[in-house]
Amino acid sequence: MAFLFRNPLVAVWALLTASTILSWALSRDGGVTPHADIAVTAGVLLIAAVKSQLVIRYFMEVRHAPAWLRRVMNGWLALLFALLAGIYITSL
Amino acid sequence: MWFFVIGDLFIFGVYFVSYLWFRSADHALFLDSQRHLNQDIGVVNTVILLTSSLFVALGTAAARGGNARHALRLFGFALACGAAFPVLKAFEWIPEIAAGYRPGTNLFFMYYYVLAGMHLCHVLLGLMILGFVMRELRQSRAPRIRFVETGATYWHMVDLLWLVLFALLYLMR
Amino acid sequence: MSVPAGSFASAAGVPVRPWYRSRKLDQWICFWSVPFFYNLFGLVFVPLSSMMPPKSPSASTQQIVGFFQGDHLLIACVILTLSLGLAPVSNAVYLTQIKRMSVSPAFRVAFLGGTVMGAIVGMTFPLFCFGLGAFRPGYDPAVLVMLYDFGYLAFIGSLGCFCVTWAMFGLAIILDRNRILPKWLGYYTVWQFMSELMAAPIWLTQSQPFGWNGVMTFWFAMLVYVPWQFIIYVWIYKAIKRQPEDELDNAPSRTRVRQRDTAGAAP
Repeated sequence: MAFLFRNPLVAVWALLTASTILSWALSRDGGVTPHADIAVTAGVLLIAAVKSQLVIRYFMEVRHAPAWLRRVMNGWLALLFALLAGIYITSL
Repeated sequence: MWFFVIGDLFIFGVYFVSYLWFRSADHALFLDSQRHLNQDIGVVNTVILLTSSLFVALGTAAARGGNARHALRLFGFALACGAAFPVLKAFEWIPEIAAGYRPGTNLFFMYYYVLAGMHLCHVLLGLMILGFVMRELRQSRAPRIRFVETGATYWHMVDLLWLVLFALLYLMR
Repeated sequence: MSVPAGSFASAAGVPVRPWYRSRKLDQWICFWSVPFFYNLFGLVFVPLSSMMPPKSPSASTQQIVGFFQGDHLLIACVILTLSLGLAPVSNAVYLTQIKRMSVSPAFRVAFLGGTVMGAIVGMTFPLFCFGLGAFRPGYDPAVLVMLYDFGYLAFIGSLGCFCVTWAMFGLAIILDRNRILPKWLGYYTVWQFMSELMAAPIWLTQSQPFGWNGVMTFWFAMLVYVPWQFIIYVWIYKAIKRQPEDELDNAPSRTRVRQRDTAGAAP
């Protein structure tokens, strides 16, 4: 098994899966009446942003891509999550 | 394909932002409706797509290394994982629809079905593209790497969109 | 190849014909019918009938009756009735170019079917609904409410009819190997198709953002569509310009053929 994890792609996948399960655990609230919870949302959005960045960099291989493509993809990610977080925070 | 991917990401970006915009106007409704989703299937589907993406990434690397047969096998695993996604979606949606949570129920469910439905269309198209990539790997003596990479990029985009969608629809509070 | 715009000369050595004898005259007429048609359309829907931007799906009966008694709705319906026939003419310009692409004829047949369906549901239905309200005063307000619903649902819900059209067009551009239109335009057309799918929810809800005047269903689709219409128009212009004359498939006139045959048989 160890040889598998020497492959960076597999390591990235393991990280992605682990963080998926982490964010799931974060969001479970054991049946209490749900309420807007900034800590959970912040955690979930942060994990989603990191996961997206991992997929873009390693799976889509944007880290080896020309500069303009890197800039566009990073710009998209930053803009999207900034807007999402901004809208959420101002609405509380 | 990058032109398509980038445009698609921006289109979905607009959808995501509009979702949060309307959600912010009525937290209670969205939170209350969110409870009726099946988070477990959501998580399984996320892991399935991630795994499928991993196989596609490994397969692309194998194709680049000239090992078309190994690549073909990896893309086959990817296709199998990817095909499980719509099946699980059906298991998720049919009970929800039967229980009365339909697109017309309220704004949350409208967003839920529309966004996930749009994504599902992308998944189905992606499965077709993976099929074309496999045909290329099987039939052609010197598979066009550009073609394989293009298909892979699209599939990773499908994965990427789902990651954001999963966080917005299922997880955030 | 720097052919000045306006002269309809084509590539290398073909004698310059006056525009009215151009062999592409048919295509140019179809082409220029597009801006004419769209301007009429705009005139009808924005200032005359004030149907666009869409009114609220949850308007009160009083507002709806007021809309049908609007001063210019009658003129709008008359113009629309007279100009309906321009739709096939302007669609012919796309069809002629799809015909040059290296794709199955199924694409252009499906494209044609889609535009016909779209024109019936998207133009004729609303025309009847608003026309009935405008030309036949004296309907019960409740009937007018139904006509209003019917008209708008057909007009905006019919974006779905165009799905087939744009899907076929986009796919044809992407699969084409003759490079009639650029590939990225094909991808753009596919988004166009996606944003039109969004029109489906207007049947289920009357409120923002998925109502027929909603951000998601109408405004965003327009944001994708309007630039697309301009861009495709420019590229169609270029494609007609570039089309070599010997590729035109207008059958040669009989007399010309007879002359050629006798000329060939003479020596």
